Amino acid sequence: MKKECIAMLLAGGQGSRLYVLTGEMAKPAVPFGGKYRIIDFPLSNCINSGIDTVGVLTQYRPLELNSYIGSGQPWDLDGSTGGVHILPPYQGSKGGTWYKGTANAIYQNIGFIDLYDPDYVVILSGDHIYKMDYSKMVARHKAAGAACTISVMEVPWSEASRFGIMAVDGNDMITEFAEKPKEPKSNLASMGIYVFSWKALRRYLTEDEADPNSENDFGKNVIPAMLNNGERMAAYRFEGYWKDVGTLESLWDANMDMLSPASGLDLLDETWPIYARSVNAPPAFLGGDSQVHHSAFNRGSILEGTVENSVLAPNVVVSKGARVSYSVLMPGTVVKPGAVVEYAILGESCSIGENCHVGGTPEETAPDSWGLTVLAPGCSLAEGKEVRPGVMLDRNGEEVSR
Amino acid sequence: MNGLHGIIFSYEKRNDLRELSEIRSAASIPFGGRYRAVDFALSNLVNAGSTDVGVVLHGRYQSMVDHLGTGKAWDLSRKRGGLRLLPPFNYQKDWGVMPFRGKMEALAGVRSYLDTIRQEYVAMMDGDLVVNLPLADVYENHIKSGADITVVCGNDSFATADGTYYEKDADGRITEVLYNLNKPRGYRGLEVYIVSTTLLKELVDECNAKDQFSWRRDVLRAKKDTLNIRCYIWKGFAAQIRSVQEYYDRSMQLLDPAIRAELFCPERPIRAKGADKSSTYISDSGRCVNSLVADGCRIEGVVENSILFPGAVVEEGAVVRNCVLFKEDIVRRGAQLSYIIADKDVEVLEGRTLMGHATYPIVLAKGSIV
Repeated sequence: MKKECIAMLLAGGQGSRLYVLTGEMAKPAVPFGGKYRIIDFPLSNCINSGIDTVGVLTQYRPLELNSYIGSGQPWDLDGSTGGVHILPPYQGSKGGTWYKGTANAIYQNIGFIDLYDPDYVVILSGDHIYKMDYSKMVARHKAAGAACTISVMEVPWSEASRFGIMAVDGNDMITEFAEKPKEPKSNLASMGIYVFSWKALRRYLTEDEADPNSENDFGKNVIPAMLNNGERMAAYRFEGYWKDVGTLESLWDANMDMLSPASGLDLLDETWPIYARSVNAPPAFLGGDSQVHHSAFNRGSILEGTVENSVLAPNVVVSKGARVSYSVLMPGTVVKPGAVVEYAILGESCSIGENCHVGGTPEETAPDSWGLTVLAPGCSLAEGKEVRPGVMLDRNGEEVSR
Repeated sequence: MNGLHGIIFSYEKRNDLRELSEIRSAASIPFGGRYRAVDFALSNLVNAGSTDVGVVLHGRYQSMVDHLGTGKAWDLSRKRGGLRLLPPFNYQKDWGVMPFRGKMEALAGVRSYLDTIRQEYVAMMDGDLVVNLPLADVYENHIKSGADITVVCGNDSFATADGTYYEKDADGRITEVLYNLNKPRGYRGLEVYIVSTTLLKELVDECNAKDQFSWRRDVLRAKKDTLNIRCYIWKGFAAQIRSVQEYYDRSMQLLDPAIRAELFCPERPIRAKGADKSSTYISDSGRCVNSLVADGCRIEGVVENSILFPGAVVEEGAVVRNCVLFKEDIVRRGAQLSYIIADKDVEVLEGRTLMGHATYPIVLAKGSIV
């Protein structure tokens, strides 16, 4: 079945900088923004952009992700041609290996891509929160007659040395690429979203695989090789909200951004819907004494205490006399009477016992060092327990260092 | 294979529902913040293991057909069996004009469908019943008791429009079938029945041959002495949505945690079609208490003792008390609403004030701008 364009979504990474949150699931499966998981963003972007064939490359702890994606039906990616396909590493007649790098993961699935004989392949990451019309990027790729188009956005000059930075000419064609340069020549940062002409990419992947010194990575190997060979490389400027949620702080930030449409992340905008596999639960109930302000919550929740500046996933309970501030609570978490949760990320199905105190404000913690408090999914705290700011607990309640 | 087939009736026009049923049948009325009445019957059946369910429709069924779709939300989109929509294809009287006069006429109207039923027993339910019945238990009781027909009753004589009431002997056998009662007495029938497929077909054919159309008159009452008709008493919450007042009172009962715990018990989940909405947001200025709130709402004003469906918006300075706001309703700045049931897509403009009363809730028709 010939397709003009298909997408390959890199979802195999552990996401080790999310620490205990990705202890048992891959990063793209981490809950985000109340009702979503991170992977809902690229999947929804695909279907909204008219891309109906998506390969999801999985490797690290894929069970949660696999069951979440299922048939792909919540994203309308269950068509009879195309749809979403989970692509784990596999054995061939000459053996097989794990995915050694981003480029190797695609290399190992050349057979899958060839099934669709596409003109263009979009390479996506499973750890970004953004709304983007990939069809515009593909249009730019075609118009530029490029072999590769990289989406870029302007970042503050002071932060440019943290990103992969592109130098471009007057037509926004890429002249130079530097990974985390000490002295950046531009402030156009790569967003890790690429469009390739499949014929060109296929050739470069094969050459890259044959090079024993290559790390088989797009940013480190394939893109530089293409540039060195003088391939036409276009930049596609993206304007709008985009955030890499690969760290605990950025994950928390992006959740908070969701509360303020002024941040640019307006999930109420139904012209570009983000789809999710929804849980089945009755509407949320807000009790007679509840105080909920500047917060988002979801179905199945019972809120009888105070909730401020927080994002609550489905089936969360905040009991009478409990207070949740500046926190992100993932599905099924229960905060018992009198407990306080501040500046924290609580994984799925955590239980916070009565009168516990989890986390604290930066002001009250000073002059001690402050940080977000993070509890692994399934962590259960006994009555009256205190968890200091910056502390991270695994599912057994043991402290884990960053 | 489970032996229980479901038939849901969604053909009756209830005038007492006023504006709420102008555009839809009673079974597709939104209820409880994110459901349609028929979700309860469907979920009850599916939770009892039914894989095949037919829905008998007649008139104003666009809303119902939209809602049910392929039946996917209830796992009834199946290769074999699954959901069957049954708009009338064999009118007995006045082609396409008259609604069915009763269940027996409705079933005669889909007579050929009855022959395709694979299961030994049929559970018949009305689409306007809001309940979470342990239907598997009712079914088991039906078989154990040797009944020809099991009638499920509420443990009360609550008055409902056009209700059927039953009297029984100590043994559980129905001794009287009552309707058109000025003052209801006996056990309130929930219009849920279990009967064997064979007997049902015989009864439909017999009634059809005699030009009889009423299940309660021509079957239950007429045959109460010859058939073993027994009742199953359900002591929990069971609401029949047949008038505006009943709709309002029953909706408000959901603010009681005990009733919610019973109706939404986790062992028998009530499934509904998911709306692709984001989280609900309450702003700094918003205040929302003692209310049931679905996804995708935006609350910047005051909401008390109310039920909000997905996407309802209450702007800053607006006050909504004791109301039911359907999908995508907008209450603009400074507007005040009490005891209002606002159908879908209603917009109440800035500063408007509308007040009903607990004994006379006002209904705003779909799409109205106040």
